[in-house]
Amino acid sequence: MQQSNRLRPFFENITFDRDDNELILNFGPQHPSAHGQLRLMLHLQQEQITKAHPDIGYLHRGMEKMAENMIYNEFMPTTDRMDYIASSSNNYGFALAVERLIGLEVPRRAKVIRMMLLETNRLMSHLFWLATTALDIGAMTVFLFAFREREYLMDLIEDYCGARLTHAAVRIGGVPLDLPDNFIADLRKFLDKLPENIKDYEDLLDTNRIWKMRMENVGVISKEMALSWGCSGVMLRASGVEWDIRKEEPYELYDEVEFNVPVSDKGDNYARYKLYMAEMRESAKILYQVIDMYEGTGPELMAHAPQYISAPKIDIMTQNYSLMQHFVLVTQGMRPPVGEVYVATESPKGELGYFINSQGGAYPYRLKLRAPSFWHTGILTDLLPGHYIPDVVSIIGTTNIVFGEVDR
Amino acid sequence: MRAYTPKDDVQKKPYYTDRYWVAPQVAKSDVSEDEVFAADLEAIKASFEVLDAYIQVGQMVVVINATDNFGVIKMLKNEREYNQLSELSAIDWLAQEGKFEVFYQMLSMSKRKRLRIKCKIGEKESIESVEKLFRSADWSEREMYDMFGIVINNHPYMKRILMPDDWEGYPLRKTYPLQGDEFAQWYEVDKIFGKEAREIIGPENRDPARVDRYDTERFSRLGHEVPRGTDITQGEPDTLIQYQEEGGAFMIEKFDAQKTVTISDRDR
Amino acid sequence: MAQHQVNYLKDGGLPVALTTIDKVVNWGRSNSLWALTYGLACCGIEMMASGASRYDFDRFGTIFRASPRQAELMIVAGTLTKKHAEFIRRLYDQMTEPKWVISMGSCANTGGMFNTYATVQGVDRVIPVDLYLPGCAPRPETLQYAVMLLQQKIRRESANKSQKPKRLM
Repeated sequence: MQQSNRLRPFFENITFDRDDNELILNFGPQHPSAHGQLRLMLHLQQEQITKAHPDIGYLHRGMEKMAENMIYNEFMPTTDRMDYIASSSNNYGFALAVERLIGLEVPRRAKVIRMMLLETNRLMSHLFWLATTALDIGAMTVFLFAFREREYLMDLIEDYCGARLTHAAVRIGGVPLDLPDNFIADLRKFLDKLPENIKDYEDLLDTNRIWKMRMENVGVISKEMALSWGCSGVMLRASGVEWDIRKEEPYELYDEVEFNVPVSDKGDNYARYKLYMAEMRESAKILYQVIDMYEGTGPELMAHAPQYISAPKIDIMTQNYSLMQHFVLVTQGMRPPVGEVYVATESPKGELGYFINSQGGAYPYRLKLRAPSFWHTGILTDLLPGHYIPDVVSIIGTTNIVFGEVDR
Repeated sequence: MRAYTPKDDVQKKPYYTDRYWVAPQVAKSDVSEDEVFAADLEAIKASFEVLDAYIQVGQMVVVINATDNFGVIKMLKNEREYNQLSELSAIDWLAQEGKFEVFYQMLSMSKRKRLRIKCKIGEKESIESVEKLFRSADWSEREMYDMFGIVINNHPYMKRILMPDDWEGYPLRKTYPLQGDEFAQWYEVDKIFGKEAREIIGPENRDPARVDRYDTERFSRLGHEVPRGTDITQGEPDTLIQYQEEGGAFMIEKFDAQKTVTISDRDR
Repeated sequence: MAQHQVNYLKDGGLPVALTTIDKVVNWGRSNSLWALTYGLACCGIEMMASGASRYDFDRFGTIFRASPRQAELMIVAGTLTKKHAEFIRRLYDQMTEPKWVISMGSCANTGGMFNTYATVQGVDRVIPVDLYLPGCAPRPETLQYAVMLLQQKIRRESANKSQKPKRLM
């Protein structure tokens, strides 16, 4: 039954066109340095790229369609699998969108815990970015170092929610759990060591001749190009646009903490690398402030809105009405009001937006996921021409794309 | 008699809705409450027809005619400082009114404002591309075409983006079932093995709840693994969790001073 | 100058161990499983983590290779979509015999939570699978355990015969 000759081998990787001596190179979708399932069709003139066609969709799993067939709370774990490097930021974006739709205010302790999750996720994501990009460029040591630190962060997250990668640690209306006993002490220990670690990476990379040659003046994105392509996050800030949603449209407690938004006007790979490193330091700074905030918060973790949010577990177990209401919310789902909302949050990759059109039913009528990586992949169309083949890898690396997010 | 299921919207519905249920509305406020938005709306109204405008959850929504989309967005970009098109997609209202609703989510960084332009087009109609204004629309419009089948005029590369080129159907339409039509369900089998292999491979198991505990062909319990096809109706043994097999790896196991023969005489 | 003093003819003799070809070959094969880097989605990140500093896959002889020609183990880590299905089959065909497949994570096993139009409901519809690894996403320890189970399976096989054709589901 296995007809191995059904898929006839053909030399799809290389096509020679005799007339204009153009070579078409297929890159991916299974390529270790494509950061996922990216397929690039590169038209080459010798080693220089003249045209690039990114082909995506190899990880399209139909999440938007799934959302239309799920109750709101049911969709929360699916958002984990979008940007699976920093799952909690996706959970958070979705929870915030639904909360804005309903008009919920979240208790302060839940906000503090959410901030902690968001920033640890940002650190995780940036460490992972550093590890993989350095590995692609050949710096194996940095990969091992950065993964070491990332594992400590994952331990922390695991202490909190029990999962390493797919956290589902945020609920609509708050967070499910309070922090475990040693969480703050462990986090502080990690943060105290972080500057040293970041310095280690920078010592290895900053003045490294190969790193600089692969990074400096490679993949320059101009300001106009970045804006026109809908770039966000580090991709935008490296091109000289000072725009951080945490700062400009603050959500949660970002207006109460003090942090800087690093900006560069170079627009090349090296600038992006420096921004990632600077952002890690800023995240640590935010985390220190958030840890201090935790002390003075009340014990509530979930908002009180019986129409939409289940009562605390203890009420469900002891009070009849809470149990009934919980049962209805779990089996039928909450029914947000009729309306539309678009909420953007600053995920580690950029502007993560959720557009929800609710028709008052238990299922969203339309849910559009605005994932930053989608346009960061699209920009390769315009960015790659003019560069050489080895630059492709470093450019893909610094765009920091995650395919769960690109294809959704 | 079988219950009637409408074919124009096959999405999941709540199995029970109270007949007196009236869904609440998210508050819409008048545009004049916000100065910045009011000025923007005035500018749009000056040269284009505005069908509806309101502020919802802090963002202005402007409903325009579908033919004006390029003009309005061009004006917003060049004159009103809306410098990014963050999102562009459609909503399927075919079952209700036979139309798609296309929305453009825009962001002004200098004013820190977001607004949404909306317009409606019929199923067979097409809409003008805004790719010349915002490159980001290039891919969004392709995605919209891929998911809804909305054809875009003057788009440089109108092809499917997420689904394969030879895909049939538009997945995000309400008429498209979540688990795919027949073409989707057999897609990979048809493509790799050919249609004649359908019978051998069999249909997909789409029932996530179907678990056959005694099926050792496909499943084994972690910690209780047995060779394929073993009968486990009487219960399966525990698998020893260890680094090597019992008694260590073979090479070491064989080398035992008592059991080995030492050859001292070469000419033996 | 150090002199090699051992006289193999007299003092204890030449160390000789008898074994079968099968076992020697399987010993070698099972302890140097080279895996194809096939991270498709979230599970791929855990696969990377198991190759990185804390979990260190290399000590089991499992080294990730980027080319199917150099690999004998395919760890399908993540969701296989319909668009990607033909590529996985092509890469599987390109791997040299003997070859094994670990299907890592729920999505690869059965389609998992993505019961939609775009995902293949289990890679075993396309390529034969030796070991199913549950979890979403499985922890690196689970992957290591799976590789150890696969090693045990390899040691049970006969080395000189070509592999039995595996069954597709």
